Amino acid sequence: MDVGELLRRIGEGDQRAWDEIVERFAGLVWSVARGYRLGALTDDVVQTVWLRLAEHSDRIRNPDMLASWLATTTRNEALRVSKKQAKSVSLAEYPERTDNSVSDLDELIADDDTRGHVLKAFALLPDKDRELLRLLCTVPPLDYATVAEMLGRSIGSIGPSRNRALAKLRKLLPDGLDDTTSRRSTDTTGDERKDAVE
Amino acid sequence: MNPPDHHGTNDGMAEAVPPDREADDRMSTQEGDAMLALLGEALATSDPVPDHVVDAAKGAFTWRTIDAELAELVFDSANDLAGVRSEDMDRQMTFQAPGVEIEVMVTDESSRRLIGQLIPPAEMRIDVIAGDDITSVESDRLGRFSFDDLAPGPVRLVVLGANGETLVQTEWVIF
Repeated sequence: MDVGELLRRIGEGDQRAWDEIVERFAGLVWSVARGYRLGALTDDVVQTVWLRLAEHSDRIRNPDMLASWLATTTRNEALRVSKKQAKSVSLAEYPERTDNSVSDLDELIADDDTRGHVLKAFALLPDKDRELLRLLCTVPPLDYATVAEMLGRSIGSIGPSRNRALAKLRKLLPDGLDDTTSRRSTDTTGDERKDAVE
Repeated sequence: MNPPDHHGTNDGMAEAVPPDREADDRMSTQEGDAMLALLGEALATSDPVPDHVVDAAKGAFTWRTIDAELAELVFDSANDLAGVRSEDMDRQMTFQAPGVEIEVMVTDESSRRLIGQLIPPAEMRIDVIAGDDITSVESDRLGRFSFDDLAPGPVRLVVLGANGETLVQTEWVIF
């Protein structure tokens, strides 16, 4: 069922249509919220976003813009909460530390797996690059206009910035463990290399 | 606008790659897409949405339910004492809706502790809404619940059903 139909049903009070929308977009909202390093407040931000959608779902005129709406609403709520907290997050802090994830990445890459290396490399990127890449790899994806707006950059800068950031990421990965390895396997070793195109 | 032909790798993503992504001499589009997919998968796997967050999000829909029963304030100790009110007395209120009552007491100005009782007694989830804050508490088998640090300003209580649906919500009050 497409998003437009789900939104229509939500407008009629269909709880199951709502649940479906939640399941499809919860990852996006969560990922965007996590980029703001709010720790335990992340839950509140996320819940507020969903409450707002519940109130305003009938105003989403273009279903294709739902992802964009959710992402920008999440950003707005996250910024509001951070200001309220008036907490300064030290940049020296472990960049991706969250309440739910493993704080010590060495644990994560103990098995020497691809995913761990990617995360470690990601954590080493400058803030701005992480901020950008996080928004570019959401599911569903966000359009460049939305990403640009959220980051306060020009749309034209997104593509080149994306590529520069990814090039940096690639450099930080161990040799033989570049993006050509399968992204679906769970325990890829450096020896398993597939073509980039499946 | 159509994406360039070499945008072959959507990598099974539900949506098409936005058409304005262009190749860069430092990173081919395919390679970039693959790296992003890898990164996305790694982030999603290492930091998935917690179940309780998904559940709460699904429950958020109940606020939209316009036919939720409104429990009206039928007793308020602040009114009952006709202006003569000791500062030490706890504020007591009773909300009533068909078939159910919610009794509430706010003790102590400083700690702002709220104690409640559902009648008939039942184990339910109760949301205490104060401004943008929503805190969930659960009543015990005897229908009793409590909540500390009640924020100033308008507050309402909402009793939720087993599927997170709103069964009863109180009027907004200032405790």
